[in-house]
Order: sequence, then C-alpha cells, then structure tokens
Amino acid sequence: MISKAAFLLTVPSLLAAAAFAALAIPSRAQQQQPTHNLPTAAHGGTIVMLCDGKTGIEVKDLKPGQTMSRAEAQSVADALMAKWQHAHPNEHWQMAQASPAAEASPAASASRGAIAPSHAAPSSSQTQSAANAPAAAPSLTVQQGDTYASFQPRDYKVWKAETDKFVADGKRIFHDDKALGSTIGVSCDMCHPDAANTHPETYPKYQVQLQKVALLRDMIDWCVENPVKGKALDPNDPKLRALEAYIYAQRKGVPLDYGKH
Amino acid sequence: MMPTLRIPVLASVAAALVLLCAAALAAAQEQNPLAAPKSHIQVGFPAELYSWVIPPDNPQSPAKVALGRKLFFDDSLSADGTVSCDQCHSPTKGFTDQLPTSMGIHKAFGQRNAPTVLNALFNTLQFWDGRAPTLERQTEGPILNPVEMGNKNLEDVVAKVKSIAEYQQPFQQVFDGLITLVNIEKAIAAYERTQIAFDTPFDHFMAGDQNAISAQAKHGWDLFNGQGRCMTCHGWNPTQPLFTDNRFHNIGVSAHKSDFVPLARKALALIQQGGGGMQQLDQLAIQTDMSGLGRFLVTKQPHDIGAFRTMGLRNLLVTEPYFHDGSQQTLWDVIDHYNKGGVQNPYLDGGLLPLGLSESDEDDLVAFLATLTSPEYADAAKEELDHQQTRAKTDRPQRDTAAAFGKTGLGPGFKGPFGDIGPAQNQENPALLGGD
Repeated sequence: MISKAAFLLTVPSLLAAAAFAALAIPSRAQQQQPTHNLPTAAHGGTIVMLCDGKTGIEVKDLKPGQTMSRAEAQSVADALMAKWQHAHPNEHWQMAQASPAAEASPAASASRGAIAPSHAAPSSSQTQSAANAPAAAPSLTVQQGDTYASFQPRDYKVWKAETDKFVADGKRIFHDDKALGSTIGVSCDMCHPDAANTHPETYPKYQVQLQKVALLRDMIDWCVENPVKGKALDPNDPKLRALEAYIYAQRKGVPLDYGKH
Repeated sequence: MMPTLRIPVLASVAAALVLLCAAALAAAQEQNPLAAPKSHIQVGFPAELYSWVIPPDNPQSPAKVALGRKLFFDDSLSADGTVSCDQCHSPTKGFTDQLPTSMGIHKAFGQRNAPTVLNALFNTLQFWDGRAPTLERQTEGPILNPVEMGNKNLEDVVAKVKSIAEYQQPFQQVFDGLITLVNIEKAIAAYERTQIAFDTPFDHFMAGDQNAISAQAKHGWDLFNGQGRCMTCHGWNPTQPLFTDNRFHNIGVSAHKSDFVPLARKALALIQQGGGGMQQLDQLAIQTDMSGLGRFLVTKQPHDIGAFRTMGLRNLLVTEPYFHDGSQQTLWDVIDHYNKGGVQNPYLDGGLLPLGLSESDEDDLVAFLATLTSPEYADAAKEELDHQQTRAKTDRPQRDTAAAFGKTGLGPGFKGPFGDIGPAQNQENPALLGGD
C-alpha cells in the first residue's frame, strides 16, 4: 500500500509545480516500496533468489508450505553463492565466520575499541554494490564483470543526490512541529539541536523507559508521543524513515557501538 | 539536336523538382511546432540532472540550436540528398519513424528500431547498444552507415555543408566560421538537447495532484513497482525520472532468431580483424545478423550477449513499435513478453521471471504507461492507444498464460552455465565503453 496522504501538495500553477517538483518531497511518499516476491516455479518447486535480483535457482523438491532442514537450506545457499561466483569470478565475497571481536559482548568490544569488520555478517544489502557505493566512488577503471554490475559516474551522482534529498526531508521534518504532528508546537530540534544527543550508533539497546530493547525508530516514536505530543508514526511512514535517515546522517563516521549506555 | 538535349534537361528538371519537394517537406517538418525547442518549465523536469548532462565543451545557445535544427532537417547530409535526420526521427512521430526498423537511402532497411530523440540528452550512452558515448559522436553512425545516410566518408559531408551558402552566416555566428565535423556534430547535438519531454499526467500526480491520473493507472503504478517488477530496470526517482537504469539487459528478444554462441565467436573474429572502431561496430549492428548480439559487440563481455539498452518509457505511445528490432506492435505484446519471463536463452537476465499478471493487471499497467505522455503528444497517443487496444483484443502473439503463471517450464536463468566463448576481452569498466 502507498501512503498517499503524507505529503500532499496543491499545485496552483505550472510554474509553482515545477518549483515544487525540484523539492522532490511528495514523490517518495507516493512510490510503493519494491517487493521481492517470486512466482511459484514449474512442477511446484520453489524459486529462491539472491538479493541481487538476478541469481536464482529452483529447489524442485521444496513444495509450497514446506521448509528445509538447516543443512538443506545451507546447501541451497551454497549453490546460489556458487552460481553468483561463477558469474562474477573477480568479485570477492567473504564466507568466513564473524570475527571473535564482532561476536563478543558489546561492552567487551567497546572497551577494546574494536570495530566489527563490515563484511563479517553478510546482510541482505551487501551484494548490491549500490548499498556500499555512495560514500566514495570506487575507481571506475578497474571494475569487472558485465555492464549490469558496473557503474558510471552518473550513477554515483544520482545515488548521492537521492540520499541527500532523503536526509534533507528528514532534517526539514525534524525541525517542523506541524510535519511531526505536534499538538503543542514542539519539534525534535528543540531538545536535540542538529540531532545532538540522539546517539543513533548505540542502538539496539535496552531502554529503561520502554523496559525492552529498542531500535532508534522506537525512541523517535517515543519522543513523537512526548514531548512532541503527536501520534506515533508507522515504521513505514515516509516521515519516520526520513527522520531516521537524518539522525544517522548527522553521525556519519562514528563507529557502530550497539548496546552502549 | 534538340530532342537529344531535351530528355536530359527534362530529367534534370524532374530531379531538381524531386529534390525541391523533398527540401520543401523537410522545411515543413522543420517549422512544425513539435520540432521547436522545449521549455524547461515542465512539471517533473529534472533540473539537477539537466545541469550534469550539458557538456562543458558544448554549451547551449539559441543560435547554435537554430543551426543544429537546420542541419537536423537537411537532406544534404545524406549521400544522395534524400534522407535527413528527421526521416527516422520525425517530430510528428515522437522523433521516431514508427517503423520496426529504419529505412535509409535507396529504400534500404537496417536491423534496428530508431530510438527517440526525446529526452535522449539524458542517456548515458547512445544507440541501443551504447556504442556512442555522446549525442555528438552518435551523429557519425547514421551519416556513414551505407543503409542510412550512406556517405562514403565524413569529409564529404563537411565539404557539402561548406558548399551551401545559407550555412555560412550561422557557422560564422556560432563557430567563428569554422565548418568542421566537430562543429556540425555539436550543433546537431545542441538541437537534440532541446527535446525535453516531461509535464505528463504522471508528473502532475507525483507533484501532488491526486486527480491527474485514474484509479486504474494508480493500480498500474503499484504493479509497476511491485508484482510487475518493472522498476528494477525502468527505475524512477526525482533526480533521474527517466524510467531507465541506463544499463543493458538480455530480455530474450533476439533469442528468437539468433544462435548466440557461434554468432558471438564470429563477431569476435571480425572485430579482431577490423579493429572494432565505431564505424565497424555500427555496420555490424545495423547491417548484419550480429545485430542481435547487442551490447556484446561493444564490450566483448559474454554477459552482454543479446543485451540492449533499457529504453526510457516516456511518450512510448508515440514511439511504437517496441524493442530493438521493433518486433512488438503493442504495449500488451511487450507486457506479455515480460509476463512469461522473457524468452529463454543462456544469457537471459536473471531478473526476468514469470510475473503472473492477470489480463486486468496488464490493462492497468498499460493505463499507467499511457500517463507518461507529454501534452504535445496527447492526441496522437490517445489515437494509438485506441488502435493498440483494438488490436490487442484479437492479436496477442506473445501471450503465454501458462508460462506467466509458472506452469510450463523452469523460471528463466536456470538453463545451465553460460555458453563458452572464451575469456573476457578487456579489463576496462564495461559501463563506460562506447565508441572508439
């Protein structure tokens, strides 16, 4: 479902519309998040696809509703990764276990100042070069593989522009009591100027107020209810996503340190 | 004495008349309001992107655009004075020829569908296979290709432009009187960069006008982003709202008629002999059965076999027929093609899978696509939509409902390893390769 109500604008004239379009605020709100659902395969098997959206296999014996043992599932994952590596012989994918530092308790790793290697635990975003790229464009002349897996200078510019706009949306909302839905005129920046003291890098962590482990978005919503005195935002609300983006962006370069108090 | 003279005189008068008529037609096209440079005040116009794509060494100016417009509609640029750029990129036909593949001099046909000039300034590479890096360099392809404008060499074209009196003044004004190939290319490219087409009902919807598109089209937009998986390649975002990833994908169109592995081997051997310059690539792409190899001719990367540029979707109702060979007549045919997961071949893009779209889903997607029409083409697009709708009721050559719902075969991409044509040919970033 699309949240269409979030950023409605009335457009009095063509000129004004052109100006608004440049702000690009309403657009994201009206675009459905992409999904990654696949059709059932022939002969009733199941198609399993890597997060690159291109590499897939059919597991013929896996019928709808069935699940695999851990060993079977691992063999499917291995087959997928083998297929991906066959197609990308020059790409490196770390299949080693997470390093001891990353597995240690947060307090221990914090006290040693260790930073978990970014590739220790493959996440769903890491095969998409796009996820890693915007920070610094890698050398364009040494890329390997097909055109699909290679990028042009334009790509990096578009990614950066889109990311910056997302963050800018968040900054605007952070400072806008009406956009936050405040009933008393309070906005985030009044206690957190420039998102100071939001320490997004310390989540997830146990929050005494909530009596449970919280993510950053839980604490944003906590603040939206009080002191902002608005309605807690849905986790998929574009406003909450933008706020989260802005708060993280303000702490660029700070090491992740989950669980820190 | 007299009769022997009269015939050649008559013939030359007739020939002159034909040329005059052709010139008059081209002039009429040149003056058509659809050929005029477009305003930037359009809802959805990507100002930031525009600032990136105007090359610093070829800034826009009204005088340069006017000169480029004149050249664009001038038959003199072809070997026998019969073909101008607008023959295949006609403003009244969405800057295409609305033919499956294009006709050049002597009524010869090539192998590729003419891409539109509309919004072509935003393409990262030009041609269906990206063999030209810029709009400037793109002009050389058709000017030299024997089945397009048919010139023997570029010097001939420059000499011809130099010989035409009415070009003296504008070249003087824009390029200090230097009539050179580079300046001819710059002027034509500058004119092409004025063909900006946004301001569609979809753009108005995205700017906040909920009534700009129908409920059916809104459902189509949901399908476009969801079940239809269209946005994976035809991506839209406010920075680059062109509905293309500027990349190259094998969707199986040329798998109908190409045996990829032997064809790729043959192409590699020819390219090795011929040096692989842009003119050679152009001729392989336009005139031989190697056309179906697509992007591979440029990169020599096995993954690019049968891969073609993701075309932007704006104004697609006036740029039919579809795909690199113009093989599909209607948007229903195109969606049918994707709905069944493309056409199986060893190089098929792994992202193509059966989509399981129902008939009404397909109708809704078409309703969405129809909202990508700029105001100046609204009437033509409506007429074409009616035509396609009628045709789609009886004629659905690509429809394969069983495959679309995953009942008849494996999902594509599972056909085993890539065909072996040898190691990759170069170490450069393939996304940057275009021309020579």
